[in-house]
Amino acid sequence: MSALNWVTLGVLGLLGAGLYGLLITRNLIKVVIALQILVKGALLALVAAGQASGQINLGQSLAVTVIVADTVVAVVGLALAVQVKRLVGTLDVKALSNLRG
Amino acid sequence: MIDAVLVAGTVLCAVRAIRATQLLSSALWLAGVSALASILLYRLGAPQIAVIELSVGAGLVTVLFVFAISIAGDDGLTEREFLPNWLALGLIALFAGLLGWMILPLEETGVAAAEATFESVLWSDRALDVLVQIVLIFSGVLCLVTLLKERHTSAQQQALAGREERERPSAAVSGNGHHPQAAVPDPSPAEVEEIHA
Amino acid sequence: MADVLIILTMGLPWLGALAVWLTGDRRPQLQHRLAVGFALAAALAALLLIGSTSSAVELRIAVGGAFGDFTFVPDGLGVFLAAVATVVGSLAVIFSVDYMHGEAQLGRYYTLVLLFIGAMAGLALSGSLLLLFIFWEITALCSYALISFYNDDPKAVAGGIKALIITQVGGVGMLAGALVAYAYLGDYQISTLLSRHQELPSGVLSVLAFGFLAAAAAKSAQVPFHTWLPGAMEAPSPVSALIHAATMVNAGVYLLARFYPAFEGVSGWTTAVIVVGLVSALLAALMALFATDLKAALAYSTISQLGYMVYAVGVGAVFASQFHLLSHAVFKALLFLSAGAVIHAVGTRDMRQMGGLGRQMPFNRAVFIVGALALAGLPVLNGFWSKELILEHGLHDGPAWAYGGMLAGAGLTALYTFRMVWMVFFGKSRRRDHVHDAGPMMRVATGALAVGTATTWLLVGAFGDLLEDSLPFHGLHVEPARALLEEIVTAPATLVALLVVALGLLAWWFRDRLAWIGEAVPQVGQAAAADFGFNWLNRQIVDGTARTAEALRTTQTGYLNWNVLGIVAGFVVVLVVLAVG
Repeated sequence: MSALNWVTLGVLGLLGAGLYGLLITRNLIKVVIALQILVKGALLALVAAGQASGQINLGQSLAVTVIVADTVVAVVGLALAVQVKRLVGTLDVKALSNLRG
Repeated sequence: MIDAVLVAGTVLCAVRAIRATQLLSSALWLAGVSALASILLYRLGAPQIAVIELSVGAGLVTVLFVFAISIAGDDGLTEREFLPNWLALGLIALFAGLLGWMILPLEETGVAAAEATFESVLWSDRALDVLVQIVLIFSGVLCLVTLLKERHTSAQQQALAGREERERPSAAVSGNGHHPQAAVPDPSPAEVEEIHA
Repeated sequence: MADVLIILTMGLPWLGALAVWLTGDRRPQLQHRLAVGFALAAALAALLLIGSTSSAVELRIAVGGAFGDFTFVPDGLGVFLAAVATVVGSLAVIFSVDYMHGEAQLGRYYTLVLLFIGAMAGLALSGSLLLLFIFWEITALCSYALISFYNDDPKAVAGGIKALIITQVGGVGMLAGALVAYAYLGDYQISTLLSRHQELPSGVLSVLAFGFLAAAAAKSAQVPFHTWLPGAMEAPSPVSALIHAATMVNAGVYLLARFYPAFEGVSGWTTAVIVVGLVSALLAALMALFATDLKAALAYSTISQLGYMVYAVGVGAVFASQFHLLSHAVFKALLFLSAGAVIHAVGTRDMRQMGGLGRQMPFNRAVFIVGALALAGLPVLNGFWSKELILEHGLHDGPAWAYGGMLAGAGLTALYTFRMVWMVFFGKSRRRDHVHDAGPMMRVATGALAVGTATTWLLVGAFGDLLEDSLPFHGLHVEPARALLEEIVTAPATLVALLVVALGLLAWWFRDRLAWIGEAVPQVGQAAAADFGFNWLNRQIVDGTARTAEALRTTQTGYLNWNVLGIVAGFVVVLVVLAVG
């Protein structure tokens, strides 16, 4: 098997691990971590797709955008988590569903 | 062969990051995912992205996580989960299996003869993306500023309301809260520099 | 040269918007002056732009591969609509100096008006479907914000939201059309769509055609989307004159005229356009006949006149529709502005509380009557020429039933126009207090528009040449001005139409003796006053949406894991479908 196929398998693994994390976790910071893992998978997939189609630099350019967006998500998500901890007193996402009306 | 080992390591780190019971070790496993992924990126022929991913993903974001966890504390949520574990695992296995079955094995179409350099693709073809990134960073900074301002006032209110309510977590915040959190908005400009460098 | 003028036409109002906003509400005099100055400068730029009309792309902004280039094409249709938008816009701004004198939040008002003028000019000049859509939405946004300008009045807020939602429904049709065109042609340029529309499969082309028709009907307040326009009358009167009479509502007609060459061949499309125009013209004329609110009557008459333009596009008379658009923009802006002066003086919009105002507002009465005569289609005013041109084309190229309907509409137009003039300016005075006539700035604006109403038909030849030379896909053949005017005067259709108009006039004159008709069929009046049930239909749709949303609320638990479960399950379903299919 070629490197490309191994990386594709890795992408599947990362996506699976990230989604699994989002399915079972209730800790807000853990949610951000699971999102990070998902995005790593997407990043690898973009570059791999660029490699497979012979447009590696296009893939890299798109990956830059992904990294920026991902970092902003992490920063804002963590700030939110800290804020939630301060105001609600817990990181449990279930505690945040009291907007239901 | 080395690719197989790297991929296996990445996925293993990811699974450990999800299954870890302590937030701090979870964050460290995430740094491992990032570092291994950047090696994979390098081996795929994307050295620029690999460098950015290593510095931003493995370095900066990990630092942020450690700060955030030290401020917010580890809740250690042990209550029963919303979904039974077997259902979540089965669903994910179904998803990944189906996706893999559909796309694997990949055929390499070969490298195109003449592709523009990374710089020219990024700066001229994807100029709009760069613009959107700047807007994104800007709005992220704005968001942080707003969030931190709110935190400040609520911290003051709590200080006024009475200190005895919480002992450890809030003490951690009022004790060293300003220092790490002041560091949070800084990374964004630094990150811009890194990307543009 | 042309590119600079295009930038000025769009950029000056936006620059002015910024300047007025930055000036702040503490210096209202400066705000008035800045707004008038920038609006006039933009109007000047647009008028100069007429000189450099061409069908070529004059300004091109590259924005990367995914969106195509943003292009601006100063062709006849576009330049003319941009000129109408900026000139009527600057007159509305001049009128506002008196009308909005002493009002709070002038900055917000002028900023939105100037933003609108710039966006409207951009809409008219843009040569790319995507850009057209963006400007389309900016005008909708400004319209919403200005209808709800008095945002402490719940009726104004409700009217604004209604207008926004209905025009958005149409906007979705347009976006869908643009995306479909892009998917098949690989290009957002309007000229590409017009030149290569044969390459689209016929089903796809009809999706495009009817999507654009829905967008145009929503924007131009045609049946069944017309219900937002009467509600939009909560806006300040200069805004009603500018946005809801002279410019934005014309965008729909502009769209139909612009894409007519591409959609002409779609089966059923022209018939659908004719039916939409006919039904709108007739129903709205009936509603105007029974309206008691002065501005609502004018709004219904706008719907009706827009129906005439849509009908003209349907029968293939693109030039006639654009000519009537010009006439209507001028005389309807005049009517709205002088109605605004009346409302400003009297303090109510209810025509039953007016009456006998003519003696106290002689100037205003004079200009209003000029506009009303043009609306009714009496000779030598611009409304006469353009309406006759439409009816003549309708007789020659369109189906007879539609022509008959439009003719009846012309009679109704005359009838409701005279009723309106009579109720406001003549008859017994119902007020004791003194009413002041229009202020000096109001007189400047309405006077200029009255002169325009009497003279714009003289431009018919130049206007025809402008369209003929710069619209390569429309294949227009406009006769020279004299031949055209002679033809209108001598054609039997004109005589018939004038006869019908005279009948309408007579019907008003002998209204007391004809009262038995109204008593014999009271249902018509009741139905017209109740908007023919369209408002009820609106309410049902809104209630249905609200009920569905309420019913779906149980699925929103607010738990993250539950949402992710939905996402992953959706993923799996998509994958299974792909794997099986």
